[in-house]
Amino acid sequence: MHGRIKLKTTEEQAEQKQKERLKKLHFYDTTRSACFAKRKAGILDEEGLILSGQLLAANPDFATLWNFRREIFLHLKEEKTPEELQTLFEKELSFLETCLRVNPKSYGTWHHRGWVLDHSPSPDWKVELELCSKFLQFDERNFHCWDYRRLVVQRAEVSPQEELEFTHKLIGTNFSNYSSWHYRSTLLPLVYPDTECRVGRADEEALLTEYELVQNALFTDPNDQSAWFYYRWLLGRADREETVSCLYISREGQRLIVSFSHPVNVLLPKDELILFVDGLPLRVTWKSPHPQLKRSAIWICELPPNTINAACSEHNFKVHWQDGRIQRECILYKGRSESWCRDSATDQQLFRCDLSVEKTTVLQSELNSCTQLQELEPDNKWCALTIILLMRALDPLGYEKEMLQCFQTLKATDPMRTAYFDDLLSKFIIENSILKMEYAESRVVDLSKKNLTNLCHLDQMQLVTHMNLTSNRLKSLPIHLSMMQCLEVLEASDNEIECLEGLVQLPRLQEISLQNNRISKICDLRPLASCPSLILLNLKGNPITEVPDFQSELSELLPSLKDLIV
Amino acid sequence: MGTQIKDVVMKADAPSTLLLDKHADYIAAYGSKKDDYEYTLSEYLRMSGIYWGLTVMDLMGQLSRMSKDEIIEFIKSCQHDCGGISASIGHDPHLLYTLSAVQILSLYDSLSVIDTDKVVEYVKSLQQEDGSFAGDKWGEIDTRFSFCAAATLALLGKLDAINIDKAVEFVLSCMNFDGGFGCRPGSESHAGQIYCCTGFLSITNQLHHVNADLLGWWLCERQLPSGGLNGRPEKLPDVCYSWWVLASLKIIKRIHWIDKNKLRSFILACQDEETGGFADRPGDMVDPFHTLFGIAGLSLLGDEHIKPVNPVFCMPEEVLQRMNVHPEILN
Ligand SMILES: [Zn+2]
Repeated sequence: MHGRIKLKTTEEQAEQKQKERLKKLHFYDTTRSACFAKRKAGILDEEGLILSGQLLAANPDFATLWNFRREIFLHLKEEKTPEELQTLFEKELSFLETCLRVNPKSYGTWHHRGWVLDHSPSPDWKVELELCSKFLQFDERNFHCWDYRRLVVQRAEVSPQEELEFTHKLIGTNFSNYSSWHYRSTLLPLVYPDTECRVGRADEEALLTEYELVQNALFTDPNDQSAWFYYRWLLGRADREETVSCLYISREGQRLIVSFSHPVNVLLPKDELILFVDGLPLRVTWKSPHPQLKRSAIWICELPPNTINAACSEHNFKVHWQDGRIQRECILYKGRSESWCRDSATDQQLFRCDLSVEKTTVLQSELNSCTQLQELEPDNKWCALTIILLMRALDPLGYEKEMLQCFQTLKATDPMRTAYFDDLLSKFIIENSILKMEYAESRVVDLSKKNLTNLCHLDQMQLVTHMNLTSNRLKSLPIHLSMMQCLEVLEASDNEIECLEGLVQLPRLQEISLQNNRISKICDLRPLASCPSLILLNLKGNPITEVPDFQSELSELLPSLKDLIV
Repeated sequence: MGTQIKDVVMKADAPSTLLLDKHADYIAAYGSKKDDYEYTLSEYLRMSGIYWGLTVMDLMGQLSRMSKDEIIEFIKSCQHDCGGISASIGHDPHLLYTLSAVQILSLYDSLSVIDTDKVVEYVKSLQQEDGSFAGDKWGEIDTRFSFCAAATLALLGKLDAINIDKAVEFVLSCMNFDGGFGCRPGSESHAGQIYCCTGFLSITNQLHHVNADLLGWWLCERQLPSGGLNGRPEKLPDVCYSWWVLASLKIIKRIHWIDKNKLRSFILACQDEETGGFADRPGDMVDPFHTLFGIAGLSLLGDEHIKPVNPVFCMPEEVLQRMNVHPEILN
């Protein structure tokens, strides 16, 4: 079904072909019927091997016939002498090799080969390893063969070190070999385990040697994406550890908010979250900020009446998660309206690479190499993208201007992926804004006029009270916005917003500016009905303002709204 | 030395409009030449072939042209004592064809014609200690079969019959450095496999394990200058890979990362104006497999002449709505 070119044929040729087909059809029909009949009668003999072999040689995807052969082998195992069996198995292997030469990409053939070896009286796995190398020489991207090789490696107990050398050899003859780079990504952590035991990451020293190998590849053929994908992984960071990153209490709202490093579902027994107030466990009901967020980085509970006593000098709040292995504590002092205890994005180097501080010199030299390469290859998008990533790993704020320039290059050289670059840039700009806000110890975030196409990291803005999103290219206020539980003022004018699904149950939200957006239906505003403090709404320049009866319907939907600007 | 991008050249006279009527005629006629050599030779996957044909007809609003009674009789005769279903009569049961059969019966709202309890037992019997699934009793392990198992059970409303936590654990152990997934732990990422694994995680509500930005980047890099998508780096574009990449992007909510217009032109260029049907690439021979994935791809791209397709099950959305099956889409 793949790669069969449609040829124009004359009538004569077509007739000739039809004749051949009829002949082949007849042979196929009789041979298959003979196989099925034998099988039905329980005759599991060598003739069955010959018959099924005639069909499988041309049609290796006929899975049932491989099953038939396996049944025959299992049967013959009980009848034949060990010598006879050995000969039969060897014959099978050479038959399989012939099949693989004709069709090296058949799942059934490779699986059968593995089965045969596993059932063979004296399997020679070293020979198999050589067979794999031979087939990979012929097609170094054949993933069936690679997968078979991994089986052989396991059975023959070939060390990861030897396999790493094998990929090195292949990469040496052709850098453009995604399969080999992929294999290295699995072998490197085995051969050089990370000293801090992070799963799937390799030791720093090994990473450094690996950078050199990749740099070689990149400079030899800068347009080969294989090495770039691998390089991005090498530069990557390990997953953050799961933890409770913030605990927030509001006296006035009588509520408590817990933030996690990852989206979790605390309603599942394994992720149970327990609250202690002044040392005593308190049964509360946890809910996520949005009904659609089954897993969420933020969980909220309403405190039962009288939990917080205004006269009390201090209250101690503490949560236990994962059976108490992870805890966080926060004290609400008398007279304070709110209190929190959190890891900030700056402390955690949340948006940076995971290499240790001593190694920033290494990243710096990687950046220098890439910049050199970019001088030779100014239109190379892979290089531009990698430079961006390196700059972000080194100093996200310091390189902001250069980063924006690189994005211009990217979009100009690879217009097909504009939307990806726009979203990626939005993400980096939001990260930078969060960093700036935290350095300023502020709770106001200004994201206006940034060409944002996408909102992310909203769980990191849980304490923000004012957000300005004016003049961007946003199409919606997504459900994750509901994590901004302290939000009071939201400015989102001059976007392309059609959908407000994230403006749900935000207890302190008072003012929303949505001037010049694309809100067209009254039902699009329905989420706002769940924001009890809303008093000002600006809808000027939205199609909805032209809907008849819109104002009366709106006052029914939002009875406590004081100011409607249209 | 420089890598030449492998791609196809788009000819100026390639088809650029959707030839729905021709495709419907092509599929309707396909099953009627039963003594054809090519047709006979594909009996080992007949059940899937029928699923491809029926689904594409349903997406085009032409399901009634297919012979329902004959197909249902055929499926009944392909269920074995173990509960599993084979591609054709005389062939052995396998998860691939069990799923196809259950999909066909779902289209026809006729699941009760087979013994569904036994189907559930069969699927269950193929789960291994490590959570993975064998395709049949001969033990080939592949994440494709994890998808088949989960999809079959979800359509039967019996997902809880298997050990889901273990099944998820196995699929996640096949995740790679590029955010993609392979056949088995250690296997290279491949668009078809990524489709199966994201689909599996969607059905089991575990999409949060996917690194959507990383995977989405790899997936959108599958788009070549011709507009078509390939299944792995440095490979040729293909209509079926276009579907697998597109559906995966839809599941992880990143479908806007590819150039939709260019992909649409590529898919349309793979039509055969004479015979109807789609080929893998412009100028190749058409087949029902690529015809389904061509039409389904155009549906995901928003073509209004085709019914909306569900990216996880590759079946009309309306069928899944009726069955109350709602696989997760990342938000
Ligand atoms: Zn294809």
